[in-house]
Amino acid sequence: MSARTLQCSGLTRSFGEKLALAPLDLCIGPGGVTGLLGPNGSGKSTFMRCLLGLVRPDAGSVRVDGVPLKGDGVRIRKRATYIPGELHLYGEMRGAEHLRWLLRGRPRGALTRARELAERLELPLRRKVRGYSHGMKRQLLFAAALAPEVGVRILDEPTEGLDPTRRGQVLELLAADAQRGTTILLSSHHLGEVDRVCTRLLFLNQGRLIADETPARVQERATRLLQLTWQGSVPPGLKELPGVERLRIDGGRAALLLEEADPRPFLAALAAREEFPAPTGLEMGNLSLAELYRDLYGVEGV
Amino acid sequence: MNLRPTREQRGYAAAALLVFVVLEVMLALAIYWWPAFEENAAALAPIFGRIPVMLDQFQLIERAGVNAYVVGQHFFKGCNTLGVAAAVLLAMGAVAGEAQRGTLELWISRPLSRTRLYTERYLAGMAALWLPILASTATTNLLLRMVDDHLNLRMLMVCALHECLFLGVIYSFTFLFSALGDQPLRIAFVMLFFGIFEFAIYMVKTATHYSIFRTADIQTFVTMMRYGLEGGKTALLVALNLVPFFVGLVLFRRRVP
Repeated sequence: MSARTLQCSGLTRSFGEKLALAPLDLCIGPGGVTGLLGPNGSGKSTFMRCLLGLVRPDAGSVRVDGVPLKGDGVRIRKRATYIPGELHLYGEMRGAEHLRWLLRGRPRGALTRARELAERLELPLRRKVRGYSHGMKRQLLFAAALAPEVGVRILDEPTEGLDPTRRGQVLELLAADAQRGTTILLSSHHLGEVDRVCTRLLFLNQGRLIADETPARVQERATRLLQLTWQGSVPPGLKELPGVERLRIDGGRAALLLEEADPRPFLAALAAREEFPAPTGLEMGNLSLAELYRDLYGVEGV
Repeated sequence: MNLRPTREQRGYAAAALLVFVVLEVMLALAIYWWPAFEENAAALAPIFGRIPVMLDQFQLIERAGVNAYVVGQHFFKGCNTLGVAAAVLLAMGAVAGEAQRGTLELWISRPLSRTRLYTERYLAGMAALWLPILASTATTNLLLRMVDDHLNLRMLMVCALHECLFLGVIYSFTFLFSALGDQPLRIAFVMLFFGIFEFAIYMVKTATHYSIFRTADIQTFVTMMRYGLEGGKTALLVALNLVPFFVGLVLFRRRVP
């Protein structure tokens, strides 16, 4: 059953010499919120654009909500909504007029729902869009993307630039939409920003899928990650200490993936060995996306 | 069905109205001064005589009378100058303007086919270019009442159609470049420079036959007033309208936002 799903097989796209998407095979949905994470240039936006036919894949096939990608993808765009990552709107239009413009080609009820959503988000629809803040523009696009009754929503960084309150509101609306069975794919380059509503996390790097995880699994692994820093270099022999599953060393910093979430046995063993000087810094669990890529997935240079 | 015009449609309508008003004023003034022109033709001849090509046109007006004067003033002078500028200005930002302001992705990500978006915009601009020319031409006989004269309106409209096709070529090529580019001003400069260059070589006796304005000069329209559209020329102009349109469409459908 392919309704409300996003499927791609062997999806490839290059821009000149640069490989933007390595052959990608994925099936997302039906239902749920899937987070697409990756640093800038990892291929998130290209992937989303390929799904909608905005960028033509070099190879591979795409099927969204049961409809194969053909031509410019208009059949897919009728069955899915989209928020582009780049935030450029028509400043000369008023908010209400812009919503109408964004929803051209959608059933009439979508505009009514979009207006209701915009009012809920306290957007001044009578004001010209050029007077909107960055976050308000993002919310206007969000209202237009959430209003149509479709099976799939593809949202490129929908919470980027929103303050924590608005971000929470937007994520709540998305979670409620997903509860109704809609499949949502959203991207972000900040772990911890969107993953609380996600049921699945996909990690992209240089156009490749490097991990396909549940948020709970990522969290569980992150809690097992211990970061220690020393002045100067990391003393040798850490890997031999009990409970170390993986070790990465970067100058005076060591990232250790422990076998257990409890670091105390390892720390006790470290303290007991005289050849190891006391570390100057210790951190556990709190990871940036770059650290997660580097320390959990072994991807450098993110 | 929502019949309220969009901001874009209102923009095209305003441009069309502006072109119409300017063309109408130019035509009205030209017709108003026709008796004075006719009366002082002998005195004007030495002025035109300095540019051989213009002298040819002037002598043609002297021979053909109000017929050549009106088509010369309206099509060769009014429509060719204002029309070229309007064609370039209407088409230059059609797609390139969206790319420049960063709204291209938003424009094409709606559930509308690119063919539809491209064709709608092409036709809207073309209508804004053609309608003022056709409408102002249709008022010629009303204005000619000022000087108690009259022309064959049907043949005038044939001339207007030819002029529309001629300007449509400029518009279509500008639109094609807009479909490829992201710098509307650069496109406008290139096309306007081309237009001025073509008009300049039109004035040079040895190069005049290489100018595109040769296909829309007084001689062309005087002949057309008598014999109607020339099949070969018209077919060529239609082709030169359609080819850039379709080439642009194919490229636009593949364009990355």
